[in-house]
Amino acid sequence: MKTVSSGKKSWNNDIKAGHAKRLAVKIAVKIALVILCAFLCFIFLFPVVWMVSNSFKTNDQVYAQMASWQTFFPPSWDITTWWVSYTKLFTDFGDFGQSILNSILYCSVTIVMVLLINSLAGYALARFKFPGSKVMTTIILLLMMVPVETSVVPTYIILYYLGLIGEGTAVIGYLIPGFASLFYTYMFRQYFLSMPPEIEEAARLDGCSRIGVFFRMILPLSKPIFATVAIFTFMGSWNEYIFAQLMFPNPSYQPLQVFLQLVNTSTPKDIGMVMASLTISTIPIAIVYIFAQKYIVEGVSFTGLK
Amino acid sequence: MQIESILPARSFARFKIGRTEYNTKESVSGILFALPCIVLSIIFVFLPIFISLMYAFTDANMLRLDRVTFVGLENFARAFEDPDIVNALRNTAIFVACVTPLQFGASLGLAVLLNRVRHCNTFLRWAFFIPVMLSLAVTSMLWMNLLNVQEGLINTFIEILGGERQGFLEDPTQALYCIVFISAWQGAGYQMLIFLSALQNIPKDLYEAASIDQASKWQQFIHITLPSIKPTMVFVLITMLIGAFRICIQPMVMTGGGPLGSTMTMSYYIYKTGIDYRDVGYSSAIALLYTFLIATVSLGLRKLLGGDNQK
Repeated sequence: MKTVSSGKKSWNNDIKAGHAKRLAVKIAVKIALVILCAFLCFIFLFPVVWMVSNSFKTNDQVYAQMASWQTFFPPSWDITTWWVSYTKLFTDFGDFGQSILNSILYCSVTIVMVLLINSLAGYALARFKFPGSKVMTTIILLLMMVPVETSVVPTYIILYYLGLIGEGTAVIGYLIPGFASLFYTYMFRQYFLSMPPEIEEAARLDGCSRIGVFFRMILPLSKPIFATVAIFTFMGSWNEYIFAQLMFPNPSYQPLQVFLQLVNTSTPKDIGMVMASLTISTIPIAIVYIFAQKYIVEGVSFTGLK
Repeated sequence: MQIESILPARSFARFKIGRTEYNTKESVSGILFALPCIVLSIIFVFLPIFISLMYAFTDANMLRLDRVTFVGLENFARAFEDPDIVNALRNTAIFVACVTPLQFGASLGLAVLLNRVRHCNTFLRWAFFIPVMLSLAVTSMLWMNLLNVQEGLINTFIEILGGERQGFLEDPTQALYCIVFISAWQGAGYQMLIFLSALQNIPKDLYEAASIDQASKWQQFIHITLPSIKPTMVFVLITMLIGAFRICIQPMVMTGGGPLGSTMTMSYYIYKTGIDYRDVGYSSAIALLYTFLIATVSLGLRKLLGGDNQK
C-alpha cells in the first residue's frame, strides 16, 4: 500500500496514476464481490426456489418446463392455477391433513412439557440447596461434554417394557423421551443464576410460597429464555424424523416429516405433489425464523445449539 | 460450582449428609421441583446407557428380549472382524474428513463476506440461511429429486450444457460425496450466523490501529480477526465434528445405505443392526465402541485446541 512512489518524474503525476490504479483495483474487487455473491446466492437458493416454484405445477408442467428457465418460475402468472398439486395432495393422500394435525399436536405437547419440566429443574438447581444438587450439575456438564451415540435402540426397548409401543400408546411413547433435556435444564439454570435473588426474597418475606414465587415472579421475568427454549424445542420437535418413523408404522399417527417420505416414494411419482408437501412442511419453520429471528440469533450465538 | 441457598427459609429444621448441612424444607421443595426432570432423565437418559452397557455382553434379540444369555466379549470380537463395520467406519471417516473442512470453510467465508458487504446485506444473510430452515428429511427428499438420474434438474442442466448424465446418488463412487455436499449446503448457514455474531463483537478500534500501522487487509485478517474469534472457531469445529460423526438421516432417506453400501455410516449401521436386523446385543456393543471413539476424538480435540471458553 504505497501512497507515494519514489521515482524521478514529477510526484504529482505519480499520485494521480496511483489514484487511478487504486480506483481500478477497488472497482475490480467490487465486481468480483458482486459476482461471488450472485454465484453463492444461486447455489444456496436454487433448490429452494425450485421446490416452491414446482409445487405450483402439475407433474406434466414440471417436466415440460424442466429444461428451460421457466423451471424456476411458477407455471403462469395466473395465481388461481397454482394450487392443483396442493388440492391433489390432500385428496390423494387422505391422511396428509391428519399428519399436519399430528405434528402440531406433538409439537405443542412437547413444548409445554419441556418448558415446564426443565425450567422447574433449572430453578431448583439455581436456587435450592438439596442433597444431590451439586452432583446433578456435574453430571449434566459431563454428559454435555461426552456425546452419547444413538440411544434409539435402548429407548425403544425401554418403551417396549413400559408397554408404550402399541398402536394407541405409541403417541405417549414417542413424546415422553423428549420431555426432559439436561441441556435445557442447564440453560435455565444459567439464566436463573444471572437474575438478582432480591425480588424473590421480597416475595418470600411477603408470604408467597416457593411455587408461587416461581410462577408469579420468575416466569414473567424470564420470558427471553422461555422463548428461546420454546423455539428450539419447536424446531427440534417439528423436524424429528428417526424416532417418529420407528414409532409410527401406521400413517394416520405419523407426523408430517415421516409422512413426506410416503408422498415422496409413492408410484407413479408426482413431483409437483412432492414439492407441495415439502413446501407445506417448511412453512411453519420459516414463519418461526422470520418472526422469532431475534431469539434465534441470540440463542444460536449464545449457546451454539443443535 | 457453588450452589448456595439464597431464599430465606421459614423453617429451621436441618439435617446433615457428610459435612454439608441442608435445610429440610428447602431440600424437599428443591427435590420436588426437580423431580419430574430427575425421573425422566433416569428413565430416558441414564437407563438407555445402562441398557446398552448390559446388552453389549449378551445375545439379546428384539424378538426374544425375555431370553437373553451372557456371551462375554463375543460381540466386541465380532465387531473387530465385521467387514460391514470397516466399510461403515471408512465411509463415516470420509464423510467427516470432507464435510468438516467444507462446511467450516464455507460458514466462515460467508460470515467474513457478509461482514464486509454492505449492499443487500439482509437479503444475502437470508439467502445463505434459507437451507437451514429445511429439515434434514426435507433437504434429503428435495435433493433426491434434484439429483435423480433420469429426470432430475441437475442432470437436465448437465445435458443442456453438453455433459453426460451422472449417476450421483445411484453411483457408488459419487453418492457419499453428494451427501457431503448436501449436508454442507444445508448446515453452513447456521454456523455462519455464529461466526457473524463473533465477528461483529470484535472491537473496531483494533482494525483502526492496524490500518494506521499500515497493515494490509490480509494481515488484519490473520492477526486480528482469526485470533479474536478463536474460541468460537474451536466451539464450532467441535460441535460440527460431533454432528458429522452422527450422520444418519441423509443416507437413511436418500440411499438406504446403498448403492453397494457406499453410504452406510456408523450411526445408520448401529440403527440398522438394532432395529432392522433386531440384533440388539451386537448393536449395543458397536454403539459403545463408537461412543468411546467419538468421545475420545472430541475430548482430545478440546484438549489440543485449548478448550472453548464459550461454555
